[in-house]
This record gives sequence, C-alpha cells and structure tokens, in this order.
Amino acid sequence: MSMIGFLQPFAEYGGEWAPRMLDAARITAAISLWGFLVALGVGALLAALRARKHWLPGLLAQGYVNLTRGVPLLAVLFLLYFGLPGIGITMSAFMAGALGLGLCFGAQMAEVFRAGLEAIHRGQREAALAVGMTPMAAFRLITLPQLIRIIAPSLVTTFVALLKDSSLCALITVHELMLEGRALATEYFLPMHIFLAIGLFYFAIAWPLSLAARVLGHRLNRRRAGAA
Amino acid sequence: MLLRFDTILAGLLQGVGVTLGVTFGALLIAIILGFALALLRVFWPSRPGAFVIDAYIELFRNIPALAHLFLIYYGLASVGVQLGSVTAAILGLGLIGGASLCDVFRAGFEALHKGQREAALAIGMRPSQAIRLILTPQALRIALPPVGNYATQLLKDSSIASAIAAPEIMFFARSLVTSTFETTLIYVTAAGLYILMSLPIVFAVRALEKRYAGGRAA
Repeated sequence: MSMIGFLQPFAEYGGEWAPRMLDAARITAAISLWGFLVALGVGALLAALRARKHWLPGLLAQGYVNLTRGVPLLAVLFLLYFGLPGIGITMSAFMAGALGLGLCFGAQMAEVFRAGLEAIHRGQREAALAVGMTPMAAFRLITLPQLIRIIAPSLVTTFVALLKDSSLCALITVHELMLEGRALATEYFLPMHIFLAIGLFYFAIAWPLSLAARVLGHRLNRRRAGAA
Repeated sequence: MLLRFDTILAGLLQGVGVTLGVTFGALLIAIILGFALALLRVFWPSRPGAFVIDAYIELFRNIPALAHLFLIYYGLASVGVQLGSVTAAILGLGLIGGASLCDVFRAGFEALHKGQREAALAIGMRPSQAIRLILTPQALRIALPPVGNYATQLLKDSSIASAIAAPEIMFFARSLVTSTFETTLIYVTAAGLYILMSLPIVFAVRALEKRYAGGRAA
C-alpha cells in the first residue's frame, strides 16, 4: 500500500473524526484530572497516617499500599462499576473510573510524598518549631513549599501514567477517547487509521508533559547540586 | 456460598496459564529489546540511530498500552497481518516494556564510573570485551530492582489483554459474571489471585537483590 493511499482516509474522514475525538478527549482530560485529585487526597491521607507515632495507622497505610500494588487497575475498575452494585452501591461509570484511578494511583502518590518528605532535612522543621511556629504553621510555611518543589517532577510523571491508564475506563463504558476510538473503528472499518489517530491524541497530551517533567527534574538536580 | 466460590476459583484458574504466558513472554521481549537498545544507545555513536531509538521510546511510553494493543490486534488485521490475541498481547506489552527497560538499562550503564571502561581498555581488553565482561555485569546489577518492579507491574498490566479477548484471568472473570450473575465475589477473587501471583516475583527479586548486594559488599 502506498503512503499516499494510506493517508487518504485521514483526508477524507478527518473532518468527521476530529470533532468526535476532541469531545472524547475532553472526557479523558476530565476523568484524568478527577482521578489525579482523588489520588492526591488518598496519597496525602496515607502519608499523614504514616507520620503518626502510633504503629497501627502506619501499618494500615502500608497494607493499603502493598495491596493496591498487587491488584490490576482493571480489576479495581470492574469491582467498582460491575461489582459494587451487587452489594447495593451504584455509581456512574465516570465516577467509578475517577475513583478507581484515584485509589490505585493514591498508593503511588503516597510513595512520592514519602520520598519528598524524606528529602527535606529534619532540621528545617525543628528550626521552625524552635522559633515558635505551631506544627501546622511549620508544615504550611516551611515544609510544604519545599515539598512541592521537590515532588513536582514526580507529580507530572504520575499524572502522565494516570492519563494513559484512564484509557482503561473505556472498558467500563466511560465515553472517553479509547471508547470513541472503538466506536469509530467499527463504524468506519478503519481500525489502523483510527487507533493511530487516537494514539497520537494521547501522545499530543502526554509527551509535552513528559518533557516538562524532565526539565523540572533537571532544574531541581541543578539547584540541589548548587546548594550542596 | 462455598460451592459458588469453588466454581468461581476454578473458572478463574483457567486463565492463569495465559496470564503467566503473556507476562513472561512480554518480559522476555522487553528485557532483550530493552538491553539491546540500551547497548546501542550508550555505545553506538550515531546521531540518526539515537534519534530513531529515542523516537521509539517516546512513542511507546506516551501512548496507552490499550491503544498499542488495539493497533496491533485490530489495526494490523485490517491490513492483512492477522495475529492471535495472545501473540498480539505479548508483542504489544513486550514492545512497550522494551521502551521502559531501555531507559532502565541505560541508566545502569550511565551510573558506572568511566574509570571502569578506561581501566578495562588499559589492561588490553577490546571495547567489546570491556562491555561484555566489565560493564554489563555491573549495569545489570544496578538495573535489577527497577526490572523487578517492572515485572510485577507487567503481571498486572497483562490484564488489559482481556480487552482484545486473550483468555486470561480478567477475561474469564468477565465471562463468569455473565454465567453466574455473581459480580463482587468474582472480582475480589480475581484481585486476590493477582496478589498471590505477584508475591513470588516480589520475593524472587528481593532475594536476587540481597544476593548481589552481598556480592558488592564483599
């Protein structure tokens, strides 16, 4: 098949595909952002549990992280969307998708938070308390700003991974990019072209973010090397 | 209740073989491909070559696995290359893994002090010998923990092969749902099965790490 021949369907149908894919990409963006927010919350909660002096909360948090590390996202999504109605809990596909993404990536996020907190010298917090700040003020004014700068690259990489995995929500009927792709593929009988286009849609969002994460990481390393 | 659990477990166990097959098949491709690309990327001073390898890595790391599987399974079939669903899953996950592991192995090589290579050349080794005998064993040791993490990740990711109808665990979970009208128990059992299967990998990697860490300390 010649290159021109292969490209022809894009010219012919591109006008019909593009708006539908754009609409679906909006759902992909929305569910990824919601999932990311849930993951941030779950991760912060787990990190807070680990910081407790009592052993039980830390054990619970570690148990959660280990558990989710072994379970596929797909199983979690199926459980939330198809499984929970069996015990009387029903939610929309979008909600189940965002929640599933958030629960799975929350464990990853907890690891990101932990690595970030460990990178901040203990003396920072101690000095803040010594000058009379309340623990809350020390966290908000001293720890948090440093933490955000340190974990920014990891947050972006985690978001990219979450964005890619949001494609699994198609399998629980969330009408996002991948589901639209499948619909278009059966409609036009051009799976090669459609899935290439869908793949490039994801790439167009994910790649710039990956590059940004790399730049942020380099900048952080340089600053640290300079400070040392 | 117990009888139903038996049926469910027996049903899900049918998929274990394919899940393991996809996981280890893809792992093999990913390791070989990733290592070969890392060697080329580190020791082959060719700008076009580096560009091609980098493009491959970026394309496979920034596009969802599901899109790759659909392309390989449905896309290739539409242009006359018909692959079985298991083959397509192994190939797709393997190619994606190759891109991830290339970065891992490359980081392993780049973490080595350049004195290692210089010393090997100084005592009269050929560059290929230096790579084979001096650099590769050390780089592999550095790469071992991330490769182990990747293997456990891959076991979970093999579940998306069910989307192209490969008869693995999640595939049987879905078909059991339609035949037994049970849902929660089936998916919880499936999740438990994945956790059980990931444990040997986790322990094996930990044991290997300990062994090689000991070797370095001695």
